[in-house]
Amino acid sequence: MGNCFKTPSTDDISLLRGHDNQDGAEQALGPPPPYQERVPVYHPSPNVSRLANQLSEEEQIKIAKRLGLISHLPVGVYDGSSKKGKECVICMNEFILGESLRFLPCMHTYHRDCIDDWLMRSFTCPSCMEPVDAALLSTYETN
Amino acid sequence: MAGLPRRIIKETQRLMQEPVSGITALPDENNARYFHVTVIGPKESPYENGTFKLELFLPEEYPMSAPKVRFLTKIYHPNIDKLGRICLDILKDKWSPALQIRTVLLSIQALLSAPNPDDPLANEVADAWKSDESQAIETAKAWTQKHAI
Repeated sequence: MGNCFKTPSTDDISLLRGHDNQDGAEQALGPPPPYQERVPVYHPSPNVSRLANQLSEEEQIKIAKRLGLISHLPVGVYDGSSKKGKECVICMNEFILGESLRFLPCMHTYHRDCIDDWLMRSFTCPSCMEPVDAALLSTYETN
Repeated sequence: MAGLPRRIIKETQRLMQEPVSGITALPDENNARYFHVTVIGPKESPYENGTFKLELFLPEEYPMSAPKVRFLTKIYHPNIDKLGRICLDILKDKWSPALQIRTVLLSIQALLSAPNPDDPLANEVADAWKSDESQAIETAKAWTQKHAI
């Protein structure tokens, strides 16, 4: 009694082990992947895509500032209580309980991943076109 | 190509279910990101009664970047050049992912009603528009008759 969790059926073990072994074997047999660092792509302006190592100094500063500003925007989790839009206008999918959201100072709400992708290109709210930094600064001033 | 994003599927379905008056947009059989578009020339514009064909392509980055849209039917308009390229702010720096295929095509339809020769793409057409507007409108009507009807 009380040892049900300690001795799962042998079938379960063999299935899990089997998969592990297969994966491991494939990885072990394959040639080592060539060393290649994945360089992230940034968008200093909406229609410009550049690898991180090709950014000008000015663009690097702009992106660093942008990352800093985005991190100050509040985030939350969709709890179903939102009285406003229930759909993310960027991906056009409905918010699902537990999904990570970001709230802009203009009160528009988006999936965190969707809006962060956009904010890295243009620091404006997609819905009202309000520049987010101006709104962010004014909320600091009023607080 | 990666699978089609849900957003593109949704937009396509909504375009079919609730078509916009004066506009059709049908996805290509072989490429769901490429749309065959027609826009009817707005009433009381020099393009009235014309049916203008356009092509619209949703790039890989869509909706983070704007659709690419081009007139296939020849049109005499100060903001549309002879290759059919369109000078419209929402297709360039004023793009927002809250815009959709539907809103882009409505904006293009509105551009036909309100040519803006002060922000030209076709310089000769814009100059003609500014120096003799009524003559330019006649030319636009003649082109509509010749190419879009």
